[in-house]
Amino acid sequence: MKTLVLVKQVPNTDSPFRVNAAGTWVDEGNLTYGLNDYDRYALEEALRLKDKGAVTEVVALSVGPERAATALRTCLATGADRAIHVKDDRLASADPLSIARAIAAAIKDEGFSLVFGGLQADDDNHTQIPALTARLLGRPCATAVLKATLGDGVIRVERELENQKVQVVEMTLPAVVAVQTGINEPRYASLKGIMAAKKKEIKTVGLQEIGLDPAQVTASAARFRTVRLAIPPKGKGAEILKGSADEVAKELVKRIREKTGVL
Amino acid sequence: MSAKILVVAEQEAGAVRDITWELLGLAHKVASEAGWEAGSVKSLVMGKNVDAAAAQIAGRGAAEVIAAESPALENYSCDGCDRVIEAQAKAEAPALILFGHTPNGWDVAPQVAAGLGAPLATECSAVAAPGGKVRFTRKAFNGKFVQELEVGDAPLAIATVQRGAAAPFGGTTQGQVGKVDPGIDAKDLQARFIEVRQGDSGGLDLSQAAVIVSGGRGLGAAEKFSIIRDLAQALGGQVGASRPVTDSGWLPHEHQIGSSGVTVSPKLYVACGISGAIQHLVGMRGSGYIVAINKDPDAPIFGVADVGIVGDLFEIVPALTKAVQDAR
Repeated sequence: MKTLVLVKQVPNTDSPFRVNAAGTWVDEGNLTYGLNDYDRYALEEALRLKDKGAVTEVVALSVGPERAATALRTCLATGADRAIHVKDDRLASADPLSIARAIAAAIKDEGFSLVFGGLQADDDNHTQIPALTARLLGRPCATAVLKATLGDGVIRVERELENQKVQVVEMTLPAVVAVQTGINEPRYASLKGIMAAKKKEIKTVGLQEIGLDPAQVTASAARFRTVRLAIPPKGKGAEILKGSADEVAKELVKRIREKTGVL
Repeated sequence: MSAKILVVAEQEAGAVRDITWELLGLAHKVASEAGWEAGSVKSLVMGKNVDAAAAQIAGRGAAEVIAAESPALENYSCDGCDRVIEAQAKAEAPALILFGHTPNGWDVAPQVAAGLGAPLATECSAVAAPGGKVRFTRKAFNGKFVQELEVGDAPLAIATVQRGAAAPFGGTTQGQVGKVDPGIDAKDLQARFIEVRQGDSGGLDLSQAAVIVSGGRGLGAAEKFSIIRDLAQALGGQVGASRPVTDSGWLPHEHQIGSSGVTVSPKLYVACGISGAIQHLVGMRGSGYIVAINKDPDAPIFGVADVGIVGDLFEIVPALTKAVQDAR
């Protein structure tokens, strides 16, 4: 049984973020990149099924620029068997639906029984790609999954709801599972894994190879246009206390006593 | 009249969920900005028996309620709901479909978007339509930035809207209720509902705590949590955490405060090393008095806090613990 893991390379959360000159996205010049946190859990979930012998092959796929190959290499070093890199300049500022169309087109002849992805990406926070892809493939999908158990031709998942409730759903395979962080404890690449990854294949394909119409990508992107990216308004804003640790601590105790009656 | 805005209602065992009223309020605001008639705001409600829910929605904002009833829709199923919503969207041809950004809303909305080839803006904090041009405001980079999106000449746009983005519709309406048979058979569903149950809380109930001291990613490691415990103990409170902390296993899941954890409203909330992702903020912003300690002056947590300290929590938290002990 073949399993696909959808991954994205995103800026590390401690990167120096600034809005770009056009005011439409972040300035990518000073950013450092890594594998999207949610996707580490998605990969781990697939690798555990392979460790158990339930899955024969784990393939990592990323849609992204040249640098995204590094994230795929990380997946290979962690245990994925091979990787697919959908790379095309025309996908650089694509909308989520075009990304999903590229994924669906790139895997149409692969015959995956399971597709894992992360619930969302830490950069654009769209929370869309796995579910969009599922619909394009005509397959069921479950998001925010905290537990997944493979059965005979089915996968049973626990979805995270609000107020610490979970929803149990059974899906017919092939199915798409978007995992929540905390579903497992992701492993790290071993030195042996890093060496072995050098011999593993990353297949790079463009729009033409996967048969996606560039005009459709352009038209779709025009219907999902960021007109402004900005630092959020502060709300009422906190009063900021200044001074040494001891000074601000004493001042805080005073406030807590006055405002809350706790002390 | 055909719909300009279709609000996908959420109900549970016949009770309409609050997000639906907010979506109806938002729909009327958007319709008014766009110059669309109030009669073009419709709502779709799905379930096994939705008479009571449909009647309520027809009285509180919808000019027309499409009631899709089927035993197969008794509980949420991603493909069942997707099929019904897509069919109704095709029949009504609205310009905008609104979902709540809830676990079921974010699950099904992308499927509808893919099925209809429409752009989808998720987790919106605002939707506006000056002159009929729809614009969505949402967060990016986990709340470090707000993003505004336009959908060009798209005939249909879809959004999932976060809680609190709009006030509930204030007026009353005498909407019509139209029943439709969705033609869904439970045995055709690819995603089958089994049950909803309470997750394991380990007996801790932070929702009743008067004082909570929470630690976040800024702590860096499980063993560093001792300074949070010490402060909580000095204040006679409980220990809370943001999601990265419980995901990393530094604390059990029941300590997690936020949209996927527990919602709290203590008299005093102290956030240490928590940047303030929206998922955390929605779980604690109802607290009486909020203290934030963070090294990043731009951290969103300072936006909701009453008082803040920008600095090293490893210096400030122990100093605060000592000051509290001295004050006792």
